[in-house]
Amino acid sequence: MVRLSDLHEAEQEHMRLRISEWKPVEKAPWITPKPLKEARVAIISTAGLHRRTDSPFTFGAVDYRLLPRDVDFSDVVVSHVSANFDRTGFQQDPNIWFPLDRLREMHSSGEIGGLAKWHYSFMGAQPNHAALQAAGEEVGRLLAADEVDVALLIPV
Amino acid sequence: MATTSISLIREQSEAVIPPRALWVPFPLGRPLGAADDRLFQGKVLRSAFRLLETATSPTIEDFLVEAPFQKESEAWACPVSFPVTESEEIDFRLRDEINRLRPWSQETRLARGRSLFGVSGADSDQIADVVDAVLHIVETGDVLQLPPSKIEWRFDMPLLIRHLADDLRTFYHEALAAQPGEGAPSHRAFNDFIFGGTALGDAFQSLAERLTEEGSAVSLITRGFILPEGYYKGGSAFPTPNELQESGFSLK
Repeated sequence: MVRLSDLHEAEQEHMRLRISEWKPVEKAPWITPKPLKEARVAIISTAGLHRRTDSPFTFGAVDYRLLPRDVDFSDVVVSHVSANFDRTGFQQDPNIWFPLDRLREMHSSGEIGGLAKWHYSFMGAQPNHAALQAAGEEVGRLLAADEVDVALLIPV
Repeated sequence: MATTSISLIREQSEAVIPPRALWVPFPLGRPLGAADDRLFQGKVLRSAFRLLETATSPTIEDFLVEAPFQKESEAWACPVSFPVTESEEIDFRLRDEINRLRPWSQETRLARGRSLFGVSGADSDQIADVVDAVLHIVETGDVLQLPPSKIEWRFDMPLLIRHLADDLRTFYHEALAAQPGEGAPSHRAFNDFIFGGTALGDAFQSLAERLTEEGSAVSLITRGFILPEGYYKGGSAFPTPNELQESGFSLK
């Protein structure tokens, strides 16, 4: 179980401090998506993933990297700075962070309408959420242009 | 466009109040719970997607099924023991470990057809060059200039040190994953192994010392990116407020 209380006490303290500074996301009109079986889905990850040829994330980076829906995971590396999360599962099976294969299966079986052409990766462990506003809005516009109905947000 | 999300730390979602969050009881770094388990991953995903149909206002739902494999990988023990060569120098010990692990790492890469190795800029066959770079930094104490190498490094110093460490961790984990026995170790079992007497763990601690000696805020923070919480003198490798103040660091 991961409650804060399960983490090392130094990490707990750090996270509690961060959380105390966070504010709820801005209220926006509630959106009911089209039925899932018609919906086009995109993954947004904060695992610091990117293709080998992309610039790696630097400390505190608030930009993002693109992962195409047919990405070859042998071309993908991780430049997230934190040493405090498990990378061993991802080494074994990329779907544990970025479940493109599961979405493909759900598309084949008719459970979702389709996969976005582009999926997105950010660097997590962000102390200042406001700093991500511009990149977040930009990705929102890109998702809309890609006719995405559902964004699936996955932490690490 | 609607969003649904997976939440690993419930308190974070409670603070941010996203439209839809599925809190999962898995360790950090395992948001879908289990590797190589199509059915379990599908169960998690379908629960997150179901919120798109059921939620009518901001909702955090709890996914109360534990991931199936954790017990085994927590109980992992390394089948290979490195010889106790405390009298030997770190460079000899580290190269010796790498040579012993190299064929196992290769097995895993062949089986998976991929590797996370190389984020530092190294090619897949350049583990020896990564080791040379780490030993150069340990020996010279220079954490600010890029170590001389034929590798075109993809980071500046000292952040490169963090990713050199990760390339080494990847290599070791690949090697351990291929060995007969209980399969790959979990994050915690892997850290206990590394910091329980391997030359790699000792090299990481030496890198941390060099960063401490240099003493700038960025070096001290990099130290916290190399050693997981609990593995630096039993506590956190991130700088204390005192250390930061002494480094001249100011938030302003």
